[in-house]
Formats: sequence, C-alpha cells, structure tokens
Amino acid sequence: MKLTSEEVNDIALESRLLLTEQELAGAVRYINNFLDMLDRFKELDLQNVEPFSFAEALECPLREDKVNDFSNIQAIFDESEHVDGQFFKVPRIMEE
Amino acid sequence: MELYELNLHFLLEGLKAKKFSASEIFQSCKRRIDECEGNIHAFITRTDDKEPQTENADGILAGIPTVLKDNLCTKGIRTTAASKILGNWRPPYDATAWKYLREAGAVLMGKVNMDEFAMGNTCGNSAFGPTYNPNDITRVPGGSSGGSAAAVSAGYVPFALGSDTGGSIRQPASFCGVQGLKPTYGMVSRYGLISYGSSLDQIGPFARTVRDLQIIMSVIAKHDPMDSSCFREKNPDFSHKDKVSIKGKRVALVKEFQDFTLDAPIADAMTRTRKILEDEGAIIVEVSLPVVARYAVACYYALAMSEAHTNLERYDGVRYGYTVTDASGVKEMFERVRSYGFGSEVKSRIIAGTCLTEPSRCDEYYVAATKVRTLIAQEFTRAFGETDFILQPVTPSLPSKIGEVDDDEMKGYETDLYTLPVNLAGLPGLSFFTGYAGNLPVGLQLIGPRWSDPELLNAGLILEAHLGTPKIANGGKN
Repeated sequence: MKLTSEEVNDIALESRLLLTEQELAGAVRYINNFLDMLDRFKELDLQNVEPFSFAEALECPLREDKVNDFSNIQAIFDESEHVDGQFFKVPRIMEE
Repeated sequence: MELYELNLHFLLEGLKAKKFSASEIFQSCKRRIDECEGNIHAFITRTDDKEPQTENADGILAGIPTVLKDNLCTKGIRTTAASKILGNWRPPYDATAWKYLREAGAVLMGKVNMDEFAMGNTCGNSAFGPTYNPNDITRVPGGSSGGSAAAVSAGYVPFALGSDTGGSIRQPASFCGVQGLKPTYGMVSRYGLISYGSSLDQIGPFARTVRDLQIIMSVIAKHDPMDSSCFREKNPDFSHKDKVSIKGKRVALVKEFQDFTLDAPIADAMTRTRKILEDEGAIIVEVSLPVVARYAVACYYALAMSEAHTNLERYDGVRYGYTVTDASGVKEMFERVRSYGFGSEVKSRIIAGTCLTEPSRCDEYYVAATKVRTLIAQEFTRAFGETDFILQPVTPSLPSKIGEVDDDEMKGYETDLYTLPVNLAGLPGLSFFTGYAGNLPVGLQLIGPRWSDPELLNAGLILEAHLGTPKIANGGKN
C-alpha cells in the first residue's frame, strides 16, 4: 500500500474535504488501486518526451487588455448569501 | 404517427411546408414527456410549463424543442451539474453552444440528468437520482450525458446537447440507441460548460439520424472568442445532405483490440459494419496502437482527476450554490460546504487529483501522464497516415442493470478504453446505431483525424443508409 489512511486524510484536508470513517476507508482503497494502475508509466522511457499540447495551441490568442462591462451584475449577487454592498463577504481568514 | 416521433429534418421540412406548426410540435413533445417521465427520470429541471416562444421565427431551428445536459449554463435557469454543491444556482449567462441554438430558434424543454460533474458512466451518480434507459427501464442509459441520450431516445425532443470528457456522449448514445457525435476538441466552444477536465471536455449533439447531427453541428460549430481553444479558421461545412462515396477510403481496425472480448451482439455488429464498408468500396486495413491499448486508461484518469481537482477548487460556498452562514472561519466554511456538497465519487477524484499534483508526486504521475498523452497523440497521427477512419466498439458490453456496480473501480475504468483515447488526442468520434439485440440497441464508433468531423458524418450517412435509424424507445410503457 502506497498511502496510509492518515496520509489520505491529510490530502483530503488539503482539498478542504472532511471524510467520514466509511468515506476515508473507500478513499484509501481507491487511491492505492489508482496509484498501482499508474505504475505502468514506469515501463516507458519518457526522458525525452515533451508534455502534451495541441499543435494549434502553440500560439495563444490574446484579447485587448481592457475592462468590459457586464450588464447582469445583480444576477451574480442574487446568487450569494454573502454579499455586502458591491462585495462578497467571507468569514475571517486569519486564525485567532 | 405523432409529431414527437418525427426526426429533426422531417420536422423542419414539415414546418417549411406548413404541414404543422411549432406549437403543435411543442404540445406533442410535452405530452410525450408527461407520458414517460415517471418511468425515465431524465429531467432535473423542466421549463415546459408554458410554451416557450422562439427568439428567431426565421431561424433554421425555429420552434424546435431541445434539452440540455445540466452542466451547460442557461441564463436565469437552474444549472446544477447534478450536484448538491451548486444548489439552485441560476447562471448569469448562457453557454455559447446554447446561445447559438437559441439564436437559431430552438426552444428549451428543460435541463437533463447526468453523473455529478460528468464523473461516471451510468447516469446513476447524480444527486437527483438515476435516469433509466428508455429501451429497458431496468438498465442504465449510460453516462455521463444519460439524460440527453434518454430524452432523444424516448422521443421527448428530436435532438439534445451533452458533453464528452472520456466517452460521455458516445457511450450513452450507444446504450440508448441514438446517434451521438463527440466533435474534435476546439470544434465547439466550451464557454459556459461547467468544467471537469478542461483539456478533454467537448460539447456535442445527440439525434436520431446522422443528417440531424449535421444540422446541429452547422449551428454550434462556430468560432467563439470566449474560448481560446476554439478554432479560428472559417466555419466547417456540415451542409452536405447527399452522401459522398467512401469508395477507396481506408477504414482501420485496431490490431491490439482484436483479442479483447466483446458481447456477442457487439462483435456481430462489427462484422456486419465491416461488410457494409467493404461493399461500399472502402478498404479495410489494420493499425497498431500499442501505447493506446496499454496506457490510455491510466493516462486519462491521471489527467482527468488532476484537472478536476483544480477545476473544482472554485466551489467554496461564497459566490453561488450551497453554503453555510454560521462558520467561525473561512476554513470551516469551505470544509463544511465541500464535504456536504460533493458526492463520494467526486470526492474520491478530487483527492486523487490533489495527490497526483502534489510537488512530491507531480513528476512521477501528473507530468508523466502529460508525456504519455504526447505518445498517444503521436500514435494516432501515425495511424491516420495509414487510414482515413478507425472502426471500433464504443463499449465491450451492452448496458448493465441499474444498481449493478463493480466494487473494483479500476476494472470499471478499463471498460472506457474504446472511448477515452479519442479525448486524449482531441479527435472526433461518432457513435452510430447498428440495430437491436432483443430490445437493447447496439452502437459502434467511427473515429477520424482532428477536424475531420464533416467527413466522419458523411461516412455515418452511408452506414445509416444500410443499418437504418433507431425507432422511438417505448419509454417504459409496454
């Protein structure tokens, strides 16, 4: 087994996920089976292989760097329960 | 014959000849939905409570009803991605593909079911419960775009949109007995599609005939400056109504796939389709895809999960969707929102993606997968030097019974081998109807090189002329 239950739980917390005992047991089995599947990559010599990109994507299309109006701003605020005037409000970030 | 039974091009011809009105089509489709939806459960949100008015009475789709997979944003209409975490979110804008359909006159009957965030292949992994296959309601419709395929199959609408990240259009099209196209990556704008794996996701159409797929592609395959991966050349030509001969075209079978076991009806369909192609003058050849056969599944899931973990970081409960208002700090808020809002499969994939992209493991897994993807794309490029199309199954088996799950997820992932390499290389793939095994439809897949979508659909027209078109599924009514 590549990852222990404690390590998987730490990764879950990094992702801001709290797992029940049952979910954690399932996640440990899932991740370890998955990492075993990825061991196949070791059979390949990837030393001189470039990471993938679509050939057409070599040139990145750029838009003019200017602010555009969005006419439906109120619709965005209507979807949140954390609005204060023209801002989203979040709970304190710094721990006590 | 009821109007809901007519395929799209017949509806358009009938409207033009004033044989019936758009209002009569709407009423017929609505009655069909009312009749079958208790059995099928294709919808998450219905918008057909009152007759929608077309925005363009002269458009080529004026008054034609459609449904959209619920990961396509619709301005002011609930969009959930089948997840609790989006709650009752109403997007402030439309997905470009839907905007193009709307501007062509199409009207929306509703938003349909899917696996949560498009992660799954049964349409059973939804916060809104499963959708049932309209051909046999004891079986899955496939996924993740199961609601779209079921809606077209049952005669709710003549066409629908879905999305395909690793087979999510082609597999449900095959399971429900409709035609489905996963276009070339970049052929249809992804703006307004809720992201799963951004380098793999592609929007595409479902319909009951290949001709109907051509009509929809002629509307949605247009450049969009809001998607930087969308093509910038002139619009492709999908207007050919008449079949162009495939005499002399090479169609390949994949050498490495020949030893794999297929359900008998799928193997039979491969034999029949090969014979049709030969009779039409196509030359059957063999190509070798050893890297695809051995590494594509691992490569795909490594990349899809890594991209999913990044894309799903945005769900924090601040700006939209499910939230809590009594958290003592931001960490507690995020943890409570995400732990309640995401389902188990999504959580597992987020954790896996986080694991693969951590600095200590990134080179070994994520970066390695991006390099394996290069080898896979190169292998397809070489293969398409030797052939014009590749013929292969969509899945090795017919749709499973509802609730049948394999405890070994990795074994389940291996069944996606026929579909997900197409997404890794950004290719177009057509899932086409070949006939029935009992009451279950059987589909196969034809793949072409990048940007060959019009030629692929032309080949589909030729196959369809021999194989026929699917009938409307009974929708759970015997």
